[in-house]
Amino acid sequence: MKKYNNILKTVGLALILMLSISSCEKWIDTDLNIDPDAPAEVPMKLMLPAIEQSYGYIMAGFDLVGTTNLWMQQIDGVARQGHTIARYQLLPADVNNTWNSIYTEIFMNGKIMVDIAENTEGSYSPHNAGVAKVIIGATLGTSTDFWGDMPFSESFRGNENVLTPAFDTQEEIYDTINVILDEAIADLGASENAVDVEGDVIYGGDVDLWTKAAYSIKARHALQLSVINGNAAYNAALAAAANGFASNDDNLEVPWESSNHNPMYQFMEQRGDVRMASTFVDMLVAQEDPRLPYYAEADEEENYRGSIIGSQDESASSLGAYIAGAEASTVMMSFAELKFIEAEAYFQLGETAEAEAAFEAGVKASVERVTGTAWDDEDANYQDWYDTNLGSQTLTLDLIMKEKYIATFGTNQAYADYRRTGLPVLEMHPDAVLSAIPTRFPYSQNEMDYNGNNVPSVTISDKLWWDN
Amino acid sequence: MKKIALFLSILLFMGISMANAQTKVLTGTVTSSEDGTPIPGVSVAVKGTTLGTITNIDGEYSLQVPEDAQTLVASFVGMKKQEIPIGSSTTIDIVMEPDVFGIDEVVVTAMGISQERKGLGYNVQEVSSEKLSTKPNADIVNSLSGQTSGVQITSSAGDAGASTYITIRGAASITGNNQPLFVVNGMPIISSGGSGDVGGVTTSSRSIDINPDDIESITVLKGGAATALYGLRAANGALIITTKSGKSVQQKKIEFHTSVSFDEISQVPERQSMWAQGNNGSWIGGNAASFGPKISELEYDGDTDYKWDPNGRLVPKGTGNGVPAKAYDQYSFFQTGVSTNNRLNISNGNDMGSYYFSISHLNQEGIIPNNIYKRLTMRLNATTKLHEKVTIGTDFAYTNSVATQIQKGSNVSGVMLGLVRSATTFDNSAGYEFPDGTQRNYRNGGGYDNPYWTANNIAFDENVNRFTGSGNLNIRFTDYLSLSYTAGVDWFNRRYQDKFANNSRAYPSGYVEEYMNYNGIFNSDLLLNFQTDISESFNIKATLGHNMYETFFKRITGSAEGLEIERFYQLSNSANAVVSTATSNYRTAAIFGDIHLAWNDMLYLGITGRNDWSTTMPEANLSAFYPSVSLGFVFTELSAFEGSFLTFGKLRASAARTANIAGAYNTTNYFYSAGTGDGWTNGAGFPYQGQTGFQVGTTLGSPDLKHETMDSWEVGLEARMFNGRVGFDVSYFENLNKDLLMEVPIARSSGFASVYKNAATMESKGIELSFDAAIVQSNSFQWDILANFTKMTNTVTELAEGVDNIFLGGFTVPQVRAVVGEEYGSVFGNDWYRDSNGNVLINDDPGDNLRDGYPFPDTRSMVPIGNTNPDWTANITNTFTYKDLSLSFLVDIKKGGMMYNGTAFAMNYFGTHKRTENREVYYTPEGTIDFDLTPSENIVVFDGVYGHVDADGNPVSSGQANVTPVVLDEDWFEGNGSNFGGGPSVAAMEPAGWVRLRDITLSYSLPVKNTFLSDAMIYVSGKNLLLFTPYTGVDPETNLLGSSNARGMDYFNNPGTKTYMVGLKVTF
Repeated sequence: MKKYNNILKTVGLALILMLSISSCEKWIDTDLNIDPDAPAEVPMKLMLPAIEQSYGYIMAGFDLVGTTNLWMQQIDGVARQGHTIARYQLLPADVNNTWNSIYTEIFMNGKIMVDIAENTEGSYSPHNAGVAKVIIGATLGTSTDFWGDMPFSESFRGNENVLTPAFDTQEEIYDTINVILDEAIADLGASENAVDVEGDVIYGGDVDLWTKAAYSIKARHALQLSVINGNAAYNAALAAAANGFASNDDNLEVPWESSNHNPMYQFMEQRGDVRMASTFVDMLVAQEDPRLPYYAEADEEENYRGSIIGSQDESASSLGAYIAGAEASTVMMSFAELKFIEAEAYFQLGETAEAEAAFEAGVKASVERVTGTAWDDEDANYQDWYDTNLGSQTLTLDLIMKEKYIATFGTNQAYADYRRTGLPVLEMHPDAVLSAIPTRFPYSQNEMDYNGNNVPSVTISDKLWWDN
Repeated sequence: MKKIALFLSILLFMGISMANAQTKVLTGTVTSSEDGTPIPGVSVAVKGTTLGTITNIDGEYSLQVPEDAQTLVASFVGMKKQEIPIGSSTTIDIVMEPDVFGIDEVVVTAMGISQERKGLGYNVQEVSSEKLSTKPNADIVNSLSGQTSGVQITSSAGDAGASTYITIRGAASITGNNQPLFVVNGMPIISSGGSGDVGGVTTSSRSIDINPDDIESITVLKGGAATALYGLRAANGALIITTKSGKSVQQKKIEFHTSVSFDEISQVPERQSMWAQGNNGSWIGGNAASFGPKISELEYDGDTDYKWDPNGRLVPKGTGNGVPAKAYDQYSFFQTGVSTNNRLNISNGNDMGSYYFSISHLNQEGIIPNNIYKRLTMRLNATTKLHEKVTIGTDFAYTNSVATQIQKGSNVSGVMLGLVRSATTFDNSAGYEFPDGTQRNYRNGGGYDNPYWTANNIAFDENVNRFTGSGNLNIRFTDYLSLSYTAGVDWFNRRYQDKFANNSRAYPSGYVEEYMNYNGIFNSDLLLNFQTDISESFNIKATLGHNMYETFFKRITGSAEGLEIERFYQLSNSANAVVSTATSNYRTAAIFGDIHLAWNDMLYLGITGRNDWSTTMPEANLSAFYPSVSLGFVFTELSAFEGSFLTFGKLRASAARTANIAGAYNTTNYFYSAGTGDGWTNGAGFPYQGQTGFQVGTTLGSPDLKHETMDSWEVGLEARMFNGRVGFDVSYFENLNKDLLMEVPIARSSGFASVYKNAATMESKGIELSFDAAIVQSNSFQWDILANFTKMTNTVTELAEGVDNIFLGGFTVPQVRAVVGEEYGSVFGNDWYRDSNGNVLINDDPGDNLRDGYPFPDTRSMVPIGNTNPDWTANITNTFTYKDLSLSFLVDIKKGGMMYNGTAFAMNYFGTHKRTENREVYYTPEGTIDFDLTPSENIVVFDGVYGHVDADGNPVSSGQANVTPVVLDEDWFEGNGSNFGGGPSVAAMEPAGWVRLRDITLSYSLPVKNTFLSDAMIYVSGKNLLLFTPYTGVDPETNLLGSSNARGMDYFNNPGTKTYMVGLKVTF
């Protein structure tokens, strides 16, 4: 019987094992399916810096600023994709990344932040909502100036199974921009606010600065409708600008740092297929511009020399520290741009004295911001330079647009202004694949693939609503 | 589940009570019919029971059997099964006959259940150790190439330690895992790994951790019915690996196997050697391209101040120092990789237990300097009998895999990228760094890393420590009821350090990444086996089982850009260290049953059922049931076939439903650490400005996920004829995969990128054919042929609503996608502009900006431009044996399948490809080609019809065939003749089929048998010694994306290899 005792013991052991393992309810513990490394909810102060980082990197990175500055011949493509884009080839797949980031990183997270700010019970925080709305409004404004009609009113409801949002017309988008920015201004001015704006890397939570930014962006887009609205556009721009930035300290800028380098710096460091364009450098040289050493790097022979468009001259000046410094902030909208908006509006309304004052203030703001040196610095002697080179000229629309083109280097505004005014006059790339500079961006391959029925059929030579 | 446990325990107790029947003892000797010698290790059992024993060293056995036992069965590998009526005698001697053709072979099937091959209702193929151990592959998956039908294997590159990708009967999932389940000695193990990005390094698939010499056999389970018992892990087939073990009866055996092998590059894209570095016919130092003057017209100026070339700048002949310019052989960068591999194993056994212990060490050197893979393995398998009816065993394996991988692909540090773009006249080998630590490269400091810099200053050091261990318990309660329990773990820790020296082009300020993970599986299988003869002609074998499984993954990654102390790779050596973690953890449970009924050795019926529960599924859909049925009809058992030329014939049919489950954490939405970037740069992340940042995940989870299902069926015919000397096996199969879980892409304007849900359907259909023949069979000479043929299609029949294609991997353009109505894995990119008949338009509009006489790209949208799947594959192994000499070679054929040769397409832009050589063109004053001055071999006429595009973007063509002569000049290659110039990806699609001598082995068994040395063999073998392919890049058995569902991409992939090997095996 000893044998069987052993067997019984063994079997008993096996049974215990079996019973312990067959308690299925415990083993199949559905709580295991909660990701321990990802939160289901996060506070607003952890969302805001991410929205701001994407806003800075995407709206001022190579995909947008690089492309528009190539087309505006502020820079020239000397190799590979830089060369391809400079010749006006831009494919739907080329804009995927930008389109995707705008919708998912900036808009969607912005909308969630607004929802948290407005709909958290007992914790109504309009200031946070206002900040998110300024960024959404600014992003939507810049975006529609590339794409015209865009999905927006039906967007951001993927979680409610709205997967193919309809496109709003650009006219509707422009209304939306104003509505969002007006809401933002009201929100930022609200007296009751539960949670302070934290995590704000742009303005450190200063709601007054955000309010100025909202007005400034309103001015930018009011002016963009000059062809459509005529004088009403100039008046609207002036009205908004009156409450906008008051100095360079108010600029809407996204900061970069050693662990998160400036996007154009990263492009030059890791790709480097572009150089300063002769079109732009020659313009700066001709007016002995003090911004040149900040806009451009000297070439090997210590000269500032742009690549002649199409020459693929890799030995030409690279991009300077202002636009492509490792830790240079990207300027999303500047006090200088606002002053040029005023200058153009006043000029078009026939108010020449105001136009001249705004023009000089615009040049001054730009020079001070770019060079980091005060206007009245004795060594710099900028006033003399201005009087000699610019102040002596009769103010014309050409001059205003040329100086705005110079001052807004590194943003997308030169391209927006060019399509509206045709200024400054540019010659075509000699190896162009189109017969004119593109007047818009293609829709993204992704949107065409997955929202194809709603995507308008366009070519990049089509004109946008405000360009007709 | 509790009810099941109760049922099982009742069965157990029934078993114990039944153990007390009347018995008697049978004894006897088993001998060979060939020479009459006793055979040890023969299994002797009572038919229809688990009651059995094994013969001792003298071929003797002793077995206690019930009084009423009817038939004794003796079986031994390589021998025909013998059945002897017991009657009243107690001494039964048995004579075994050799079974050359394996009809009576026993094979291991799902859950480790042994079945007679002839009774199976589905296709099973087995690969034995001899086919694996003389191959120079570190990863056994590579050694399976060309051994079976229905299996497709892609190795990613020729780098030491490179990953492999294996599918059986095509893909079953759109974006999920498509590789089979690996089971080693009953323990499912982790075999994945090695999937990659377009840049970075190639890393190993974890199947590389198995020592190929430990393997006794691999059973390839292909269809649903074969794998149905694995339920939710069964959809992709299974590789059931059995390792060597100590035989119950043998003398101590020591095997030593040593080999050395030599790897060389097999084929590389051809470079031009006529034109110097530069642009527009001028030499420009540091220029990206080789569109300079003719090399024959240049010499050096000897200026020693020019630091980029020891000979100085290039100047026109007659104006320098007389040292002529030359084109350098950039491929001299590659080396002969020398590998050594030593393996030792000791095994022994007696009637109380057995063991097998092995140790092996592989030291593999790649063809790229400093690329290494080293592996140390140890394995101990041991069993012991606690009691006549109780056996316990353990199975332990330890592996340490160490690799240093070198950058590849689309990456400024990629070895091939830097190498093949390098200007003809730049000598990369003349130094890669200056005394100040800055880099010497052909772009004069910019552009790409010098490949020597990459190999010496950028390293990806990987180290994997892996432990797989299991314990098993076998109890034989009665002659018809037994239990086996196996529980085990597969644990490994993988760590790597990714190091970029300061002045690397990707990270000028230096970079380090530290990665550490813990990866583990726990698995428990309880099987209750029942086997009896209901009558003399009717046998039943059944298994009832329970499985528990858990997998756990946790990683921590830290990275830092900007190293303060140069080349000191430590996270604290930077102000910018960022850390992240990720986890994946889930459990499954299952009960299953398997019944095999056999009637008169003629009709076989198998039925299986399995119910699975998984924590990754939503509460309402935790569970799913998977059945299978299979039928085998051995028609040669019919009397009509007696004496016919057919020795054996079987018709078989089976059908099954198997599955796949959702990955962990897909039922809801989460936030993740934020970051951003464009497609050009490293981008930005968090922490940022001292803040922490989160973004909502772009994939929407779904609370109503279901299990994926795969419904499959197959029919087959198996036959042997002419005394079994010739045999074939043909199968037709269809798999219908539905409710496939995938991240369904949605328009980003919805705020999200994708929804994870059940969406797609996919089917695969195919024919598999195996053939073998003993062509010549004499005492001294033997010629055997083994051949396999596979023709299958794997078609995506439906994706999600409104989605007709989805991204699997690749670039902005091109990419690999799954496209509805097309075979799984289409390259998607831009095409040439075509007319409505599909003819390429050759521009005829002098008014537009496009060159007349050349085609031009249609940039409106991407379209499918090539199917990466082969039309069919085949392989033939011929083995010649003459006395102690044996020669075996495997010819592997892949017909069809396209590959994106992005390497050559980019080389066009840089003017380095051989195709750019005939670029010289002269024009008349009128602007037409001057045919007197232009070399006639440079004149080409594009295939196509004259046409252009109207203002609305629509093609306009007269349909007239193009006859305009043009030259593929620099403007062409810097334009639509290359990817960077804007050319469409379709121009880079090349057929990538092949005929290759995959393996050849010549071995000689030394006639040295004595008491000390029982066996000795020396061999020489080679891999890929011959390769015939229309593909003009590297060996087309390559994949940029590593072990990935997205195949067919070559963009500066590191080249493949051909290998020579010599080895010695001795047995003491």
